[in-house]
Amino acid sequence: MTPTKRITALSAALAAAALGTAASAEDVIKIGAPLALTGGLADEGHKQELVWKMWTDKVNAAGGIDVGGTKMKVEIVEYDYQTDGKRAGQLAEKLINDDEVDVLMAPFGSGHTKIVAAVAERYQIPLVACVSSSVSVYDQGFKYLFGTLAPNTGMTEAMVAEFKAKMPELGTVAIYGRDDVFPKSMATATSDSAKSGGLEVVYDELYPVGAIDHSAALSTIKSLEPDWIYMTGYTQDLILGRKQMQDLGIEAPIITMVTGPAYKEFTEGLGELADGVTSSTWWHHAAGYTDVAGAWSSTDAFYQDFLEASDGEDPDYVHGSCAAALDVVADAAGRAGTLEPAAMRDALAATDLETFYGPIKFGGNGMNQGREMPIIQVQGGGIKILYPANIADAEMTLLD
Amino acid sequence: MGFEQILANGIVLGTLYACIAIGFSLVWGVLNVINMLHGSFIVLGGYLTYFAWAYTGVSPVLVLPVVAALLFGLGYGLQYLFINKVVSAPVLTTLTLTFGLDMILYNLMTVYFTATPRRVSMEFGRVEFLGVVMPVDRLIGMGLALALTALLFVVLRTSRIGRAIVAVRMDREAAALMGIKVNHIYAVTFGIAALMAGAAGSVFAMVFPVTTNLSGVFLGKAFVICVIGGLGGVSGALVGGLALGIIESFAGVLIGPQNAITIGFVLMLVLLIVRPQGLVGVKGYE
Repeated sequence: MTPTKRITALSAALAAAALGTAASAEDVIKIGAPLALTGGLADEGHKQELVWKMWTDKVNAAGGIDVGGTKMKVEIVEYDYQTDGKRAGQLAEKLINDDEVDVLMAPFGSGHTKIVAAVAERYQIPLVACVSSSVSVYDQGFKYLFGTLAPNTGMTEAMVAEFKAKMPELGTVAIYGRDDVFPKSMATATSDSAKSGGLEVVYDELYPVGAIDHSAALSTIKSLEPDWIYMTGYTQDLILGRKQMQDLGIEAPIITMVTGPAYKEFTEGLGELADGVTSSTWWHHAAGYTDVAGAWSSTDAFYQDFLEASDGEDPDYVHGSCAAALDVVADAAGRAGTLEPAAMRDALAATDLETFYGPIKFGGNGMNQGREMPIIQVQGGGIKILYPANIADAEMTLLD
Repeated sequence: MGFEQILANGIVLGTLYACIAIGFSLVWGVLNVINMLHGSFIVLGGYLTYFAWAYTGVSPVLVLPVVAALLFGLGYGLQYLFINKVVSAPVLTTLTLTFGLDMILYNLMTVYFTATPRRVSMEFGRVEFLGVVMPVDRLIGMGLALALTALLFVVLRTSRIGRAIVAVRMDREAAALMGIKVNHIYAVTFGIAALMAGAAGSVFAMVFPVTTNLSGVFLGKAFVICVIGGLGGVSGALVGGLALGIIESFAGVLIGPQNAITIGFVLMLVLLIVRPQGLVGVKGYE
């Protein structure tokens, strides 16, 4: 090939590629996702990535989403923000300005969601958060932020009432939480719910992020002999906390760890020590919803697809909530009939959807309202649902 | 809760802290390199121990020498091939290099091992003595940490290689003129530091869940302990570790766990002002 021919061929190829991009860009819904694919939250980031791939593969294989009479394919544009909150914000800006995404998905956790939400609000691009449950993220008056998890408070009130019903002599609780957005808000909410529920809170302290030893706090808790120990944190904190309780000979009829047992890593890491630990979670695959809208028509259909995609791993609430978050986006795009951000925002606000994950209906602050979240307990190495009654599959057992 | 229990908690935690810091202190004192890789070395040691236990069932105590030897090789190689090229450059250059190497190691571990916390779930039980409850695995960890520290102390004091390390630390040029292969000694020193980190990882795998998230935490602790205890000798890490462990233990009970870590940092700042060489550090190494 002569140099001239080579240049001509190259130009033709480039032109074709450019045309191809232009043509396909019109028929694609671009969803931007800053994800923690490396760093401390890498596990969680990969969970989001996995279900979003499952969802897009399934929806695109079925032809895409009908938006104003045009069938549109869905494309997820993702970047690794390396579990660095500041970087998540920068990448959200890049996704909006350079990649021109139509909708953003928030990363894992309330802290990082808060950062991305500020960016999305500034550019007025709808943001759907699937793993952020702290009310402090949603009470900033943002109009473009929506979250599929329900508020923490609903969870803690139900738990106090349920435990008092199961153990009428329940009188004292020790609360020990991680000083981080979500774990702290759960500890605070539980403390408030316990007091209003007539319990005495005998210990109420936080531990700093990065704590690698809990012996001081746990030794104090031991001397107080509470009926109920409630600890919040991420999996590594809770594994260590439960082990140190055993090491120091601390026993209580009820030990709750949030959100420990909601993750398989917790039960795997602790083995028999996990048995009897209670928790609350936003979703568990045992809670079966059928005949619902979205990519999967039932919880079981999602579960079966998930088993295949993950080589037999069980899904947790992160998987459920994040997959359902895309159902919400698709539903809103369908109803809006356009991808224009303001119209999408209004359609999202009007969401009233039954999904495999359960009902999704956003309140005034953008949070999913009105879900009864399951209380779970590790029994015989597996997860049993204690509450609500309509999906419960076991009676609560006390630890001593 | 009794004073004895708080003190015992602090001493056990303190020896584990000393175990974290000792290699870091050695590299900082001898090479004048702030080794940002140190936390990841400990985590790597923890993972190797965990996988050995998970796949073959071998006890972490038995795996420890193998892990330590592997980490020695890794440390020696890294120093010989990379860090030696810039070892006499200002401290910021070596810090940046080890920071970069740390990012590679940290992310490789996150990609291949994932950040999922893993635990060697061997239950050793606990012992009770005079009302003080102590988990046996922590006591084993403490014993190993003390043994390793003592071993390093003896090696530095009595062996030829130990004396060569001390000589290079005192005067690099003079040591070279005496026939000491300085680059080799640097690499051996870095190797020993990595060995201590790997051994610390094995000890920690018995006590804490292993996850890459802890790499930065370990590094931060090592830094604080070295400043508190002082550089220039094995005793600095031991004294610094014990001081930090005991202070954190008492502060955790008296003013709440949330503020316990702050107290450690406050102590570090005070010492930097009034006694920059640390509690037992040799003047001139700060």
